[in-house]
Amino acid sequence: MDLVLQLLFTGIGIGAVYALVALGFVLIFRATNVVNFAQGEFSMVAAYLMVVFSVDLGWPYWLSFLIALAGMALFGVIFNLGVYYPLRHRTYLPVIIATIGASILLSNSVLAIYGPQPQVLQGWFDTPGIQLGPVYLDSQYLLIIGVTILLVLFNFWFFEKTLLGKKLQATSQDKEMASLLGISVSTMIMITFIYSAVLGGLAGILVAPVLFVSIQMGSTIALKAFAATIIGGFGDVAGAIVGGLALGVIETFGAAYISVPYKDGFAFLVLIAFLVFRPQGIFGERVAEKA
Amino acid sequence: MPLLEIRNLVVRYGEIEALRGVTIAVEQGQVVTLLGANGAGKSTTLRAISGLAKPASGDILFDGHSIAGLGPEAIVRLGISHVPEGRRVFPGLSVKENIMLGASNRKVGASQISREADAMFDLFPDIRAFSNALGWTLSGGQLQMVAVARGLMAKPRLLLLDEPSLGLAPVIVQAVFRIISQIRKDTTVLLVEQNARMGLSVADHGFVLETGRIVLGGKPDELWGNEAIAAAYLGGHAKTHA
Repeated sequence: MDLVLQLLFTGIGIGAVYALVALGFVLIFRATNVVNFAQGEFSMVAAYLMVVFSVDLGWPYWLSFLIALAGMALFGVIFNLGVYYPLRHRTYLPVIIATIGASILLSNSVLAIYGPQPQVLQGWFDTPGIQLGPVYLDSQYLLIIGVTILLVLFNFWFFEKTLLGKKLQATSQDKEMASLLGISVSTMIMITFIYSAVLGGLAGILVAPVLFVSIQMGSTIALKAFAATIIGGFGDVAGAIVGGLALGVIETFGAAYISVPYKDGFAFLVLIAFLVFRPQGIFGERVAEKA
Repeated sequence: MPLLEIRNLVVRYGEIEALRGVTIAVEQGQVVTLLGANGAGKSTTLRAISGLAKPASGDILFDGHSIAGLGPEAIVRLGISHVPEGRRVFPGLSVKENIMLGASNRKVGASQISREADAMFDLFPDIRAFSNALGWTLSGGQLQMVAVARGLMAKPRLLLLDEPSLGLAPVIVQAVFRIISQIRKDTTVLLVEQNARMGLSVADHGFVLETGRIVLGGKPDELWGNEAIAAAYLGGHAKTHA
């Protein structure tokens, strides 16, 4: 029982990272109808920004954190203007290829600067964790879970309670109609890219002390997050969060009870099972595309 | 000076010429109805006015200023509100949220918009009870009410209505047209209709479009009086198409 609780905690911790990246996927998909294959690189770039500010320049952790997130917001602007905006009137295919191209460009740019050896980033807290009864709570996982809870609450408030959130939803549901009402579609898509870049960046910075900071970290997280969005129900915000958490828990238990080397395999086994037996995911398509 | 003046408007979709020199004028305070068969260019005319379709040549003057070539976001800010074909109510947003977003062309606060949306239900009492229902759950008639209410939230000087009667039961069509005759007290309306009898019943002036050209224009009585036109485009004299 103790082991189960311990694994549950770790699984939710890593699942929270998948959930944040998956949320970024879903928001961009809903706004642009395109899967952003560079979503994982958002996390990778943010982790390296942390390495630059916190390790190389030796700035305080919190300052590096804030500047890295601000950098990711700027990165979202540049990504939108450079990758999506020029192709916005084309079909989805050129845009998808552009995001794949951006992903390759980003990985190799970082490779050229930092080389292939992974970097190490400290966690936010000096204390490694606390013992709560039978369960050891790692401080970084606690932080990840705490931040994810806050972000999910913020996300709900932002999209459900604010007029700007409603305009973003309207834009993702029917761009032409949104523009007829005077909603600036290009501004809404810009906001979506900024928000997704910051979400992905936050996930990267939070998970970096748990993993190593490497060029591959983005693609690993993104693959899991992509699987999470399919398990949750593609395009569904709640589905991305539930799918991410579920995937984190499943792979942690699989690794503990069945096989550690096949840890990543369990995630994709679940993905395949969903694609075969419930392709619409846990939450399915609850809202019709057109009324 | 007319509120809206369209001069020799040509719109092309690729190789196809959807409008081949359309000229119409809408005076302030009028209801003007654009009639014609499927594919005659009625919707394209409205799409060109609201900025969704780019004119290949010709001009569109609103209040004496050319708006041809402006984008839809700029045009709705000038005071032209387009309620498009198919209602296009946002399926994942509630009725009230849909209506509130209609004010996106104006610089007003969220609480003010919320009050105005509540007041809009006085004009559309049938959808008041569905205020919190999501768009995709509504019936065709309800969707049309929401779409018109949302269009009015822009406080337009000119309201473009595309086929408000399409697919609705006769009793609902009558309710929609009662609303149009109420709207006209404050707003100039350009109405596109296949249902000629209903369309002309509220109109001060009518135009008939045929394959991208205006073939006839006049007061409703004059249009009904033209036997050949009435038979060909208006579906005969006394027969209802509702």
